[in-house]
Amino acid sequence: MSHCEFPALGFGVGLRRPHYSEIVDTHPRMDWFEVITENFMVEGGRPLEVLERVRERYPIVMHGVSLSIGSTDPINHDYLRTLDAMARRFEPAWISDHLCWTGVGGHNLHDLLPLPYAEEVVSHVAGRLREVQDILGRRILIENVSSYMAFACSTLTEWEFLGAVADEADCGILLDINNIFVNAFNHGFEAEQYIDSVPVERVKQFHLAGHQDHGRYLLDTHDHPVRAEVWRLYERAVRRFGAVSTLIEWDDRIPEFRELQAVADEGRSRCDSAMRGAAQPGIDAHR
Amino acid sequence: MMAMKPDRERPRAAAGDFDLKRLQELLYRLIAAPCGVGEGLAANGGLPPGNLEAILNGDDRLSARERLEIYANAYFYRLLDVLKEEFAATLMIVGDVNFHNLVTGYLLEYPPTEPSILHAGRNLPAFIRTHSLSRRWPYLPDLARLERSLLEVFHGPAAPVLDASTMRQVPPHEWPALILRTHPASRILDLEWCVDLVMRAAEETGTRIEPPSGPTSVLVWRQGSRAHYRRLERGERAALALARDGVAFAMICEAIAAEATPDENPAALINRLLARWLSDGLVMAVGPWPASPAGAAS
Repeated sequence: MSHCEFPALGFGVGLRRPHYSEIVDTHPRMDWFEVITENFMVEGGRPLEVLERVRERYPIVMHGVSLSIGSTDPINHDYLRTLDAMARRFEPAWISDHLCWTGVGGHNLHDLLPLPYAEEVVSHVAGRLREVQDILGRRILIENVSSYMAFACSTLTEWEFLGAVADEADCGILLDINNIFVNAFNHGFEAEQYIDSVPVERVKQFHLAGHQDHGRYLLDTHDHPVRAEVWRLYERAVRRFGAVSTLIEWDDRIPEFRELQAVADEGRSRCDSAMRGAAQPGIDAHR
Repeated sequence: MMAMKPDRERPRAAAGDFDLKRLQELLYRLIAAPCGVGEGLAANGGLPPGNLEAILNGDDRLSARERLEIYANAYFYRLLDVLKEEFAATLMIVGDVNFHNLVTGYLLEYPPTEPSILHAGRNLPAFIRTHSLSRRWPYLPDLARLERSLLEVFHGPAAPVLDASTMRQVPPHEWPALILRTHPASRILDLEWCVDLVMRAAEETGTRIEPPSGPTSVLVWRQGSRAHYRRLERGERAALALARDGVAFAMICEAIAAEATPDENPAALINRLLARWLSDGLVMAVGPWPASPAGAAS
């Protein structure tokens, strides 16, 4: 997968409503923005105006939550047409969505539900991903989701499933480091093993976020700072996958923009340190 | 572009271990069950012999049912939060408990179907009309309709609006033939209750008032990046309804003049209403137009 197709954008944050005016009016320092695609699937008004203004100055990535690539419902071609039209209008650096299902029977749960990790499901999802990529005329990134349930019928680990889907669909991976940490706790596996097992050449973006500790489980809420353990996993990921584009997610109890800038700067600093400490042959092998 | 990688050796689930479609349908029913997973399990005949553990892994920290309940709670409360924000005045009138129960019933009858959660509340005004809450608060359907309309015009189509300076560039003798149309991010609501007063009180003072009943027409529109609403003046309702599909300015004038009172100067009324529409960014020119009619998009 070429780096022209998924260029290294640096460190970005999600474009969220509380920051619209500050970003449009003052053009703060930020490498790039990620937008929740569905929030801009409207006919007009403030969100689209803001996105146009932001796009004039910053690279953007369109990150969807309703592709429902793992559903057994037919692929929603109306949704894809809208997505394609948005991509033509705003020219995102790339498009991403989640390795999950969000509904069935024409209903949408507005949540990212995990799939059974089994060969049959790899084929099902990969086939749909190929169709989506053909329609959009581009490869997309698929993100590992946080989860609280796992299926008795699974025969693969989560990382085997993720790698197999990406290989079979020939798509990229958006690796959410926080989700790996959350899932490792919730399902009892080693987060480091996950990082070390994902195919290097597929990973083109990282997500970093905070979560809530509910004692018996971790909840992926995007409303807290990135935990130290997640930063350490991130550094491990950088050593393995290189300095791919990194995005700080913060969707609830959203802080001031300058605080997000500080988190992005911390990511940059940790990434630089990890890259300096990485064994160069290993890094060079995929760069 | 889609180069296939060689298939790898991977273990396969035994044939018949699961059917993904049936599995997703079952999980959907359990997650969306109005009173939670327990009720869904009790009502469900689709579970295999044994229990939920035959499908989902549980452990000593969290049972399979507890794990599924995380999703069930997330489903309901995510949508409840969205609808609370969208229908803030309705929530203020009925209170948290009633609103919670309202949404429980609503999601059962109108589960979300669209990719964007922005559409989740579009049927709530119609649902409220059939709900017992509208017997206690008969104006509630109108209020919810007004709140939903504000969201819809906020995200309505963009189009260039006609402003006063552009209008002044047109020689007066050409005005009658101008085709004017209301902006697509606007709508007229014909209501049975003066719920604009309820909205205003909720927004400005955080207080609840009981509105008077009686036919009321309220205009909802977007100007710039904000959605607005106001009661329509006499003469405006018929004229703006005509302009929805685009009509000659002369016909709009006739509609306004027809509603003028005997002691009212029709020309003055027309001038005043037109000035207000231009100031509100409510109309667009669609032709014929002698000069460039381009205005600011809204």
